[in-house]
Amino acid sequence: MILNVDLASEVPLYQQLRDQIVGAIADGVLTEGSSLPATRALAADFGINFHTVNKAYDLLRQQGLIRLNRKTGAVVTRTVPDAPFRAEWTARARTLLAEAVAKGLPADEVLATCRSLLDSFGATQPEDTP
Amino acid sequence: MTVAITLSSVLSALVLALALVLPSIASPTVPFGVRVPAQRADDPTVVRQTRAYRRRVLIGGIIAAGICVAIYGVTGETLLLPLTVLALVSVWYGCFFLANHEIRAAKAAGSWYEGLRQGIAVDTELRTDPPRFPWLWLAPALIVTAATAVIGVILYPSMPAILAVHYDAKGVPNREAAKSVGAAFSLVFVQIGVTALLAGIAAAIFRTRPDIDPAHPLGSARWHRQYMLLGARALLGLVAVIDLAMLGSSLLMWTGTVTPWAPLVVVLPILAAVLVAVVVVSRNNRERDGGEEDTGLTHRDDDKLWRGGMFYVNREDRALMVARRFGVGWTLNFGNPKTAMLFAGVVALFALVIILRLGG
Repeated sequence: MILNVDLASEVPLYQQLRDQIVGAIADGVLTEGSSLPATRALAADFGINFHTVNKAYDLLRQQGLIRLNRKTGAVVTRTVPDAPFRAEWTARARTLLAEAVAKGLPADEVLATCRSLLDSFGATQPEDTP
Repeated sequence: MTVAITLSSVLSALVLALALVLPSIASPTVPFGVRVPAQRADDPTVVRQTRAYRRRVLIGGIIAAGICVAIYGVTGETLLLPLTVLALVSVWYGCFFLANHEIRAAKAAGSWYEGLRQGIAVDTELRTDPPRFPWLWLAPALIVTAATAVIGVILYPSMPAILAVHYDAKGVPNREAAKSVGAAFSLVFVQIGVTALLAGIAAAIFRTRPDIDPAHPLGSARWHRQYMLLGARALLGLVAVIDLAMLGSSLLMWTGTVTPWAPLVVVLPILAAVLVAVVVVSRNNRERDGGEEDTGLTHRDDDKLWRGGMFYVNREDRALMVARRFGVGWTLNFGNPKTAMLFAGVVALFALVIILRLGG
């Protein structure tokens, strides 16, 4: 898996790392049991502080997406969307959709974008699509 | 004497040839050790400096070689001949630095990095699924070393009482030692030391941090994997040839053979192997991008970590070896305390060899 961070971005580095790992899980590049490098090894490869990587891994661990192991680094785990997650995710999706509506994006376009994004995740993951 | 002249000429020609082709095999986005954005790789300044560099290297090289030959003609001192090679390397670095300086100035004046998004790319699979050390390629070196030791043990009773441990440039032994295990097996110890050192470096290559281009990370990561494997194999092939040369030299010593071409037994195979290794690695030096879509990111400007465009000094970086930015292969991080320890180790190894050979 390639992790590519933008140093000039307003999004903090740990957030970029976390987002890209989540994206890789959705894409099917990382599957259950896939391992991620140890914190220090990844930080050394980026030439960034290891606390930054630690923060990214910690966010993923809190969401139950990875399991941390002192020796082997991190391993992607299987998760089920529980009720608190659904509620929190819906709230965030609401904000994103509200932005689109506030900016005047037509509903059709918003739906089409959502559909194509969801399909793009399935592209690398064999899945039944309608 | 002719041997020394031939060797110095061959070495000088090699240095000159390497200096002339280097701009073509080095990464196009790091012309003369200056990091430039991909769209500036063919900037008029870069093109002009490449041409000027080649002209300077050629003229400077010919002048340096001419002066050294003239000094030799006057003094007749063969010791001065390796100086030609040293002078050429200095000329080369001078030309490199001039080009580096000009391109750096143009880059600063034109703000080449303004408005670009600089990024860093990492391939996590290099850590979670690293390329395997090519153990099979280490086998020839180990077999040759073991064979040398076995042949030595068998021949030991029949060896001459006085062993020639050093030859002058004409192939005449100029230092001898009474037969002893230390003197007879001195080259076996060299074999063991060199094999361990180069195998260690080959293993270290796999732990180096690859410099992945954030604009084309997938192709770049694939290429790095291949490059590491190639570099390790080239080193292990080289150490096998060095061990073989030591075997040849040991056989001459053990059988008491005196020939004018004794130094060639050591130097020629090693020189040939170095040449082959350099050609093989440099042929694959330029990354090929496999039509991968540009991510819009540019490699970050890391010029300040490369002193004089060539020496990597970064105290914050725990890495010991990093891929060279200009040229072929890898270089050391001179900001890392481990580099100093490594140098001390190599010096100690040489000292040990000298003491063994003199004291044997």
